[in-house]
Amino acid sequence: MIHVKGLSKHFSKGKGLFDLNFEVKKGEVFGYIGPNGAGKSTTIRHLMGFMKPDRGHSSINGMDCWNNAARIQDQTGYLPGEIVFLEGMSGLGFLSLLQKMRKQETTKRRDELIERFQLDVKTPIRKMSKGMKQKVGIIAAFMHDPQVLILDEPTSGLDPLMQRVFIDLILEEKQNNKTILMSSHSFQEIERTCDSAGIIKDGKLVALEDMYLLRSVQRRVFEVKVKSENDMEHILRSSLDIEVKGARTVHVTVQGNDQEFVQLLSRCEVQHIDTRPQDLEDIFMHYYDRREVEK
Amino acid sequence: MSLPLYLAMMKSHGKMLGGFIYGASAYIVLIIWIYPSIADMQGFNDMIGALPESMRKLIGMENGINSLSDYVAGEFYGMLFLIILMVYVILTSTRVMARLVDQGSMAYLLATPHSRVKIAITQAAVLLTGLALIVGFTTFSGIAASEWLIEGYQLDVASFIALNILTFLTFSSIAGYCFLISSISNDEKKALGISAGITLLFYILNMAGKLSEKTEWMLNFSIFKWYDPIKMINNETDAFWIGCSLSISTFLLFMISLIVFKKRNLPL
Repeated sequence: MIHVKGLSKHFSKGKGLFDLNFEVKKGEVFGYIGPNGAGKSTTIRHLMGFMKPDRGHSSINGMDCWNNAARIQDQTGYLPGEIVFLEGMSGLGFLSLLQKMRKQETTKRRDELIERFQLDVKTPIRKMSKGMKQKVGIIAAFMHDPQVLILDEPTSGLDPLMQRVFIDLILEEKQNNKTILMSSHSFQEIERTCDSAGIIKDGKLVALEDMYLLRSVQRRVFEVKVKSENDMEHILRSSLDIEVKGARTVHVTVQGNDQEFVQLLSRCEVQHIDTRPQDLEDIFMHYYDRREVEK
Repeated sequence: MSLPLYLAMMKSHGKMLGGFIYGASAYIVLIIWIYPSIADMQGFNDMIGALPESMRKLIGMENGINSLSDYVAGEFYGMLFLIILMVYVILTSTRVMARLVDQGSMAYLLATPHSRVKIAITQAAVLLTGLALIVGFTTFSGIAASEWLIEGYQLDVASFIALNILTFLTFSSIAGYCFLISSISNDEKKALGISAGITLLFYILNMAGKLSEKTEWMLNFSIFKWYDPIKMINNETDAFWIGCSLSISTFLLFMISLIVFKKRNLPL
């Protein structure tokens, strides 16, 4: 459904996109991950036809993203990374303008989404918080029931409850055989919804994996407190990556070897266990490091 | 053109546009209203005649005030209306394109199944409709005021309307290059600055060109060379040809804007 072939775009200071290749099949959810400034939004701008590639091309549903930008929009929903609406309108005013521009008559789907995200649509846009704007943006992207969805950091600004609502919406659309590309900072969100993911860094795609593989490279650190020194020794003798953090407390890093970790714990008397959340940057760093070592 | 977008844009520009229309109409009514007292004033023309010629040219009173038409053309069309329209055209042309690109809301317009050209045509239509409304209301107010507010002085309606059409066309051309600048800019402030800079330069060249014979060549570099309200209202210019060339340059400028906007990279 979405094809990106040899896409290159050069900006000054050596930035840009360099020979990007990937494909999202119909009915697939593709996660697009990368640190800030890696080129996620630039790729999406190409898919939306806002930018003309220097080399290579991208297409959606067989239509070239630059030459057929307007026709592609018929079947595409888009959520920009930075949401700015037209001035001087209420949320509802803006949504109905978009509907009229799309010559869409039914408001059923729109109202359903408004209800779902509990949005107060009468609020003027300039008085909206980041989260409210995000909701309006999400509704605008989904309300015409598009076949392809391109979402640039969809959950930024949403509270955890609304993030859940959003993830449910994505899973539902996946059931309906929609093709979705979403960029994200949140590994969790990608993990829960995507079939495959691409990792981009400095304009190059450094990994293109299915979710299972990506999960296996994800590092998680557990803080474990055990009851006795005996257990402590037991843990230190294992082959896991362990860091002593105090009396009977260790940090265990687990990366793909979950089974081994569970087995080790089963032999000890655990007093307390906690995961330490890792930010995405950390995950990236390790992913990149690992790849570089392999080379 | 997208009608829903056009209506929405007109609505959001309504307040500002209303202000311009009110300002221009109220002012022309006011100066027509006080005309009889100026015309009846003894020695007014002598006073004007005592000024140096270049000065008279600058304030648009080369031959003193001989008729209501001269007075309206010189006092209003040559001065304040010029500035009102300049401000409106520069502000609005920047608002309808560069601002949307700068802020990012253009992304939403282009995420609908309308081509860039279609969106840009809609925005250009908003700009020109506003200009037409200001000139239209002013024309109407001028005619109405001269008919009903004062007695004994006649405004030549036909040439007054011709003057207004030429005014509209002159400022359409200015709108044309401002729109072009707005279409190629990513930065709203930059677009505003460049448009205002060029237009002011034209205006200054026009002023300087009228000052003396030595500086007359400067007029050739100003779009306002085409715009001489007093001569226009007295039918001393080739209104038809000026009108045609202004229309053509307006058309070309907007066409170039559309092509450039279609082909450029947008930082949305």
